[in-house]
Amino acid sequence: MAALVLGVLLVLASIAPAHAQQGRGLVVQVPAEPPGLDLTASPASAIAGIVHYNIQECLVKVDRHGQLVPWLAERWRMPDPLTYTFSLKRGVRFHNGRELRAADVKFVLERAANPETKHPHMARYQNITSVRIVDDYTVTVTLAKPDASFLLTLARQGSVIYPEEAVGTLKSAPIGTGPFAFGEWVRGDRIVLARNPGYHVRGLPQLDRVTFRFMADPNAALAALRAGDADVSGFGLGPEQVPALLKDPRFQVIIGETTNDVVLAMNNARAPYTDVRVRRAITHAIDKHEVVRGAMFGFGRVLGSNVDPLNPYFVDVSNAMPYDPARARKLLAEAGYPNGLDAVLKVSPQYYYTVRTGEILANQLAKVGVRVTIEQIEWGQWLSRVWKDADYDLTIIGHAEPWDINNYANPKYYFRYDSATFQRLFAESEVTPNGPKRRALYVRMQQLLVEDAPAVWLYVHPHLVATKRGVQGIWKDLPIPSMDLSEVSWAK
Amino acid sequence: MRRYLLRRASALAAALFVVSLLVFVVIRVLPGDPALVIMGTEGSPEAAARLREALGLNRPLLVQYADWLGRAITGDLGRSLQYDVPVSSLILSRLSVTVPLTLLASFFVVVTALPLGLLAATHHRRAGDYVAMVLSQVGFSVPSFWAGLLLILLFSVKLGWARAGGFDGWGQGIWPAARSLLLPALALGLFQFAALARATRSAVLDVAREDFVRGARAKGVPEATVLWKHTLRNSMIPVLTVIGIQLGQLMAGSIILESVFSLPGIGRLALGAITARDLPVVQGVGLFVASVIVMINVAVDILYGVLDPRIRHE
Repeated sequence: MAALVLGVLLVLASIAPAHAQQGRGLVVQVPAEPPGLDLTASPASAIAGIVHYNIQECLVKVDRHGQLVPWLAERWRMPDPLTYTFSLKRGVRFHNGRELRAADVKFVLERAANPETKHPHMARYQNITSVRIVDDYTVTVTLAKPDASFLLTLARQGSVIYPEEAVGTLKSAPIGTGPFAFGEWVRGDRIVLARNPGYHVRGLPQLDRVTFRFMADPNAALAALRAGDADVSGFGLGPEQVPALLKDPRFQVIIGETTNDVVLAMNNARAPYTDVRVRRAITHAIDKHEVVRGAMFGFGRVLGSNVDPLNPYFVDVSNAMPYDPARARKLLAEAGYPNGLDAVLKVSPQYYYTVRTGEILANQLAKVGVRVTIEQIEWGQWLSRVWKDADYDLTIIGHAEPWDINNYANPKYYFRYDSATFQRLFAESEVTPNGPKRRALYVRMQQLLVEDAPAVWLYVHPHLVATKRGVQGIWKDLPIPSMDLSEVSWAK
Repeated sequence: MRRYLLRRASALAAALFVVSLLVFVVIRVLPGDPALVIMGTEGSPEAAARLREALGLNRPLLVQYADWLGRAITGDLGRSLQYDVPVSSLILSRLSVTVPLTLLASFFVVVTALPLGLLAATHHRRAGDYVAMVLSQVGFSVPSFWAGLLLILLFSVKLGWARAGGFDGWGQGIWPAARSLLLPALALGLFQFAALARATRSAVLDVAREDFVRGARAKGVPEATVLWKHTLRNSMIPVLTVIGIQLGQLMAGSIILESVFSLPGIGRLALGAITARDLPVVQGVGLFVASVIVMINVAVDILYGVLDPRIRHE
């Protein structure tokens, strides 16, 4: 074997180093292969990471600062709270060469609202009563009731605009108006996108080709980056890998914010978590800063509620329910658990941070008498048992969707948090136009969540991206779970 | 021979039926729902329920199995739930990685382990034997995934001679594709190398103690002839058995190595399909792997007869 290894060495030594091309292409490592590429069929962030904003775009865009900006619609008017008239940007062409027209917008919105489509967020579109084509470049959308989130809905991944004639290939070879056209998908290995030469934003994109390579193992991903087989490690970089990369002059590390709130969820419908004193006790028992240091190597911002810092209505309530083990013990005693209680924490190793966060939490909770047994379960089981059936005491997961405070207004959601006050506040916020009044409602909702403690909001998962030096234009923060590469380029 | 082959063919059909039933039952007994996995936490259970209906997963299990079996008999293994492409084409596309990887690993194993085992046996309780046994002990002790990572660190990260992972396909040329498979094949073959070296040593030592070998030496047959003609050929039956088993194990072992090296092979396809509850793919891969292993066993049985004419299959 040794002789053979030597032989292989000699053969390999005779060939040139295998580094990724440093020209105008980019190889991006991503940890998960998307389950299909149809954004109107699955809300999986692995799809959005590749397709949303790169291949397909929306009327409105969430930009790198989290602001809603006109995109395929260059402007809109709201003559009344129920009516939106969008003026489409002219000269925008799909990858199949056909120009984007108002009829495409009508088709896409009506298809999303149609139950036959099985759109994952159908309800968001069912408030639309009509989509009227005014002319080829103007479309008027009428709502049944005011919806303050409507423009955001139009910017989300489920609202991408695609041509009617390409519906059949959405899952395997999507067509859109984005800076890159779908090239090929080698299942299990990579997805390749090619530059869209007719892109409607002048001068973009700057890359000729983007290859998303699926590498689930974080060590293998890091090795690929170091060996030059990948130019960017996106989404999959572990915080433990950051310190070494920061010292390596060949790479740059981008550290930013995301909308991914890592939460210790409690089953609010199962005793003893039905008692707000127990939920508050658990919140007081957790030192979130220590969790971030221990599980995330110090990367990630401590949270106090379910609104992330990229949201314009974010208020910092992280000190509202501070680490106070004495208070936790007192609350447990008041709730009838002077000797503590036993709890099972179900986590799925699908996401690395859940297990290591769970281990630290178990240790902290033990100090106030909450004896936690950690049960690791496979992802498919976690989805069925915990997320769908709410068969759990405690669990940890990241909620990546932006503006997902609506989950707390849904008593059937796996938190099983059922607060009439919260539901009323949320319903009111949905029909209140953006502005001070809506902001006040969001502040009140965040405060109510702190008081009711239906979950413990631990930290915001950081946006950690490592790139070869010379790659520029990658988004620092991730206000929406997409990896927009339209402005990415290599330094000259 | 024909009757033997017929018998093996019917055994293959029975094995495939049992495997398909087992895979079908096991994957459905496991908690987990393909629609939920496709939707993820960003969707809602209601949306997952609509998808489940669209995928036909609401039908009774027996109906689903009968439907699948009926189509499988005609060669249609269904479509992948997550990729939306025919399962058979998915499996075929992955063979271009797994088959060369397994063969390359087998090649490494055979060309290193057989001479080493032979060396150990012919130098029994001498330096050559001890060196060989230490090498094989190392092979047993190092887990293949760790060996894979060490190889990546040395050859890809430090030296930059080989790719750290990924596979661009044979369309890019034979050498670039083979280069992607060298390190995983080495890591994959390490354990089997150790096992085969030991099996060869033991088999050769056993035969070397037989009367006919001593008889050959006693009548003055040259040592090389004793070794090659009398000892080695007669040692090959157990060695061949081990190689046959190892081929199946190499294919199974590729699940881990394909993940470490990010290779789009059968193993990674199976792993991803189980995680995603992509039932048609899991069933298709299960059937395929079972067929390959049964066929390897048949091939080994036939080779027994070639090596030892006393073994006949009638």
